[in-house]
This record gives sequence, C-alpha cells and structure tokens, in this order.
Amino acid sequence: MRKILAKIAFLSIAAILVLSACGGGGGSQLAPLGDEFTFGMILVGPHNDHGWTQAHYDAGLYVEQQIPGAKMIYLENVYSGSPAYPGTTTSQLAEQLVAQGAKLIIFNSDDMKDEATKFAQDHPDIYVIMASGDQVWADGNAYIAMENMTNIMGRMEYGKMIAGCTAALTSQTGKIGYLGPLINDETRRLASSAYLGAKYCWAQAGNDPAALEFKVTWIGFWFNIPGVTSDPTQVADDFFNSGYDVVISGIDTTEAITEAKKYSDAGTPVWAIPYDYQGACDTAPGVCLGVPYFNWGPAYAATIKTAQTGDWTSEFQWNGPDWANINNPDTSAVGFVKGAALGADASTQLDQFIADLAGGLNLWVGPINLQDGVVYLADGVIATDQQIWYLPQLLEGMEGQSVSE
Amino acid sequence: MDTNTILVGLAGVLALAAPILFAVIGETITERAGIINLSLNGTILLSAIGGFAVACETGSLLLGFLMGMLVGALVALIVAFSSITLRQSQVAVGFVLALLGRDLSYFLGTPYMNISGPRLAALPIPFLKDIPVLGPLFFRQDVLTYLSFAIIFLVWLWIFRTRPGLMLRGIGERPAAAFVRGANVNLMRYVYTIIGGAVIGLAGPAYSLNVKAGWMGYQSGLDGFGWIALSITIFGGWNPLRAAFGAYLFSLLQWLGLVLQPVLPGIPSQVLQVAPFPLMILTLLLVNISNAEWVERMLAAMPEGLRHVTTRLLRAMRASPPASLGVPFESE
Repeated sequence: MRKILAKIAFLSIAAILVLSACGGGGGSQLAPLGDEFTFGMILVGPHNDHGWTQAHYDAGLYVEQQIPGAKMIYLENVYSGSPAYPGTTTSQLAEQLVAQGAKLIIFNSDDMKDEATKFAQDHPDIYVIMASGDQVWADGNAYIAMENMTNIMGRMEYGKMIAGCTAALTSQTGKIGYLGPLINDETRRLASSAYLGAKYCWAQAGNDPAALEFKVTWIGFWFNIPGVTSDPTQVADDFFNSGYDVVISGIDTTEAITEAKKYSDAGTPVWAIPYDYQGACDTAPGVCLGVPYFNWGPAYAATIKTAQTGDWTSEFQWNGPDWANINNPDTSAVGFVKGAALGADASTQLDQFIADLAGGLNLWVGPINLQDGVVYLADGVIATDQQIWYLPQLLEGMEGQSVSE
Repeated sequence: MDTNTILVGLAGVLALAAPILFAVIGETITERAGIINLSLNGTILLSAIGGFAVACETGSLLLGFLMGMLVGALVALIVAFSSITLRQSQVAVGFVLALLGRDLSYFLGTPYMNISGPRLAALPIPFLKDIPVLGPLFFRQDVLTYLSFAIIFLVWLWIFRTRPGLMLRGIGERPAAAFVRGANVNLMRYVYTIIGGAVIGLAGPAYSLNVKAGWMGYQSGLDGFGWIALSITIFGGWNPLRAAFGAYLFSLLQWLGLVLQPVLPGIPSQVLQVAPFPLMILTLLLVNISNAEWVERMLAAMPEGLRHVTTRLLRAMRASPPASLGVPFESE
C-alpha cells in the first residue's frame, strides 16, 4: 500500500512539474483565432458616450466590418467603484467575457492598467490589447514582458496641438482653459501639447506671447463622479465666468461644449473644443471649433488580424496621424474635424499649421522648460518619445497643478 | 480674481445649489410629517431622465419639470403606501427604491444618451439685475433658481407661521395629540409625503434641463447627490432656512475646491475635489455631537469661560428630529 501511495505521489509531483514548465513560458499558449472568433471589450464608459468610449466601440464595429468572422461582445461602465458591477474587479469582468467565448480582450482605459496586467498574466492563452497603456513598451518605465499583450495608443499630441492652435486662433481674450481629467503622464503631455500648439499659433498670428493665458483645471477622473471628482460643469462655468473664452476638453464627456452653448445662447462669445470622438461637435455645433479624435479601428483591425493568423507579437504601438489625410478612416490613428464655429480666416491658418506639422514642424523641441523653471529640453534638443510620454510636469507658461500628490 | 469674477462665481454657486435645495426642502416637508423618504438618490436620477425625456419628446420644458415632479410624487406614494398602509420599514423601502430608481434611470435613459435637448435659459430681472453686487448675485438667474429662493421662505412660512403648518409639525412630533385635535394623521402623512416627493422630483430636471443639462447615464454625475441631500436635511435641523444654508455651503465648498486648485498647488487636487463631502459629514457630526453624553462630561470638565462659549455654540448648532419620525401611527 505504501509503495502504491509513494508511486502516486511521485507521479503527481512529476505531472505538476511538467505542467508548470509548460505554463512557465516554455512555449506560447496563444492559438491563432481562426476564421470565426469572438473578441471582448471592457469599456470604461457607456458605449454611446459621444467620447472616448464610443470611439472604441465604433472601432469594434469597424473590426467586425473588416474581419468578417469577428464578433464583438462588451461590458460598459467599468471603472473603479462603478455602481454597475459592485464587488467585481475588472479582471473578473474580463473573465466573464472569456466565459462567453472571447479569445481576445480589449481594455480601453488607463484606469484598468493594473487589472489588465493581472488578467494577461493569469490568462496567457488569451490575447490582450491594452489601450493607452505602456506595460509592454520595452523602452518604457513600467515594462513587463507579456507575450499575450499589446499596447495601442494614438499620438493625440498632434490632435491636441491642432486643438490648441485652433483655440489660439479664435480666442478674443487670449485666455484658454483646459478641462483636465486626472493628473498623470498622459494627461500632462496632452495638456502640454495643446499649450504648445496654442503658443505657436498665438505668436504666428502676431500676438504678444506674454498675453496668452493657458490654465488647466483638473476634475480628478475622466468623467464626473460625485464625491470623487470636481464637477466639470462647474469647472467649465468657472472658466467662462473668468473670461476664458475657449475651453479645450481633456475629459471623456461633453460638459465643455454643453456649457459653452449655454453661455453663447446668453450672448457671451465663447467656444469649446471637445475630445475623443469624431461626432462630438454634434452636441452643440454652433460653439464647436473642432474636435481632435481617436480612430482606433485600423490599429485594432490590423493587430487582431495578426492574432487571427498566428503572426501576433507583443508590442507597444504609438500610432500617428496619416499626414496625407489625417481624417482618413482607414489609415489615420488620430484626426481633427473642424467645427462649424471655426472662422474662415482661422480655418485657413489652421490648414497651414496642419500642413506645417505634416511637413515636419515639431513643437516638442527645446528650449522647453518645466513649470517649475527647470530646463527640460535645451535649445534645439528634440524630445524623445520617452520624454514626451513621461512628461513629469506641465510646461513653463501654463497655470495649473502639475502633480496630484 | 477680480470682484466681478467672484460675484459671477458665487451666482453660479446659488444656481448649482438649486437642485440640492429642492431635494432638501422636499425631504424636510416629508420628515416633518414623520415619514422618512430615503429614496432621494434614485428619485433624483429617475426624475432627471424622466423630465429630460419628456422635454425632448415634447419640446416643452414645463412638461419636463412636471414629469420630474410626477416621478417624485409616485416614488413618494410608494414610500407612503408601504410605510403607512402596509406598515413596512420606511428605511428598507426607501433604500431599495433609491437603488431601483438609480438602475432604472440608467436602463431607461439609454435612448437619450448625449442627445441635445432643451435647456432653461437665464431670465435676468429688469432693473434689479443692475443693482450693484445683489444684481449679479441674485437677479441674473433662471426661473428655477428664483423658485429655489422662493421655496425656502414659502415652506418656512408654511411650517412655522401657519395653522396647517402647526398641524404638520404636530403629526411629526406628537401624532396622537394631533389626532385628538381632529387631524387625520395618516391622510396628512400621505399628502405631505407626496408633496415632498414632488418637490424632491423637481431636483432631477433641475439638473438635466438646467445646471447639468442632458443625460449621460453613469457619467451624468448625479449619483450621490441624493445622499448628500439627506445629510443636509439633518444638518438643517428640519428647518428650511438652515437646510438652505447647508445646500449653499455644500455648493460653495465645491466651487472653492476649483478656485483654490491653482492657488494651493501644494495640496493634492484630490483633497480639494473630495473635501466638500467629508466636510459636510463633519458638520453633520458637529450638529449632532451636543446630544452625546460624553460631550456633556467633557463640557463639565472645561474652564467656565470656555464651557460657556462651547455650550452656546453647540446649542446653536443642535438639531433634533421630529419626535415621531419613522414611527407608524395607529389611531387605536
């Protein structure tokens, strides 16, 4: 009897060791998706928010259109403390999608970064796309090798520069407000890019550079959560009440443009630039100067096709606009749609600015100082991707908090 | 920040406080009658989408506001029926309705997500709007904000200066005595709960058709205000004037969180964003602390001068709920 038990124990230990070796990175557990497959999306907001989340949802529809056998399933309103899923973590929700047949999961918010990492590590057989993350950027500050994960982000810095330029070309008071979400690397670099665009176009238009005011007010998250964030409606109102006549939105929802319409209807000449979603101006076209937006579809489709064919590689993608046509739905990762409120002269000048960017104009070139006056880029020095991605503070000349703690 | 900017900012504080004020006044009326309507959070959300949907479909803001009031009244009717007629726990029913109303609003609101709808416009009052300081503060608002100013005093007058108001206090404090004096306690409780609910229901469209126009589902940023309104009702000591002060204080704290952000760069932005909520809870604590026995002991140990000042301060802040709040009434 003892011998039998000893044999069973030995065989069990051997089996565990063999299985551990297989699971420990000895070989890929990723199988090609094949002709027909389901992919899941974990969305931070509602799928029809006219903002960040809808841009992702529409990209999912684009994938279904481009890859005939692909079927999307999704869960929306997934964020820390969301009342939609009390007591459930984001990775558990992703597992629900896997249980429904998803072989690839897209996490669409930086709020899900840790949970996406946990999920990817727990499920090496499931493909993971983490939008806006940098976990698998080998040259990044937070690199973790995960062969089943790819990071995708658009170079919205260009979109924000164009937005900043648009604001500067329109503002009559020289006071531009930036409705910021939470403070992190991404939001600092985007707000700063808007400032660089505004500063450049303000000067190009012959204005006194010192007369430009650019203020950032942060609400604390990507949209309003009472008890957690400031109220973006109140922030937008405060900007307009204080003489800021253009508000650039950096959040996922439409308060900036909604409030601009209220003030405009009351006779105050103010404008707004929403964010994220191509159709965001539709909320109030009369005050909308334009919208920088993400077009996730082409990158998602191309990446998912590699998973379909077995050519997947874990990579960090930071995709720029297609300068031949920044609004090409099949090639450009970011775009800018002009709004109905943009004046004709400003529109012409904006076209020139976009053409200059396409021709190689780079605003992330020194001299650029951080908000505290420390030199970040010496004269003539071009910022590296890391310097832009991990911008530690807002820039000199911008008003507003740089760090959250 | 110049004077005009501060005045316009403070005018915004008054306008943004209006929805909370309606909710607080509505709850004050309800609780004065002895009924706790805990459903505020769900009622506000449900009436917000109800009012917005009706206004979008009909193009009439008035119908939108009436729809909000109807939703509030119906939810209150459920609270009244289950607690007065069925004698169920008011707390349990209200809490369930708060959750149900919230989730139902998100479900029903899907077709109205981010669509452009009607919105109340400002209605400056001629001549009065030009009065220095007072004009920009009070007389360049919209009609709903004017109504919020008026309702504070109207409800205060009703409760504390009229005979029916005396009876209202009676059914909340000593329903048996009110019954002996001829009051139909349960019928009056029904009526005041429904009226209070209708006023609470006005808070929803006050958001979705005015201060936070539109509907954005989970991102609307309305979830939580109902609970704040409940705490302000307690802070207000069931007195409309004091409750209004609480609503304005909360709104002011929210505004200060914004304007102080660039002034106090050393303080983490999250602290300023969240501060109004714990500060209201702290104030609530101060309001109720004087009723505690350990405070009495602490006061007794204080030097006389300090004890005198502290006692007066605590007494001024002290508030006691209606004696029969939440207690069912039986005529036998």
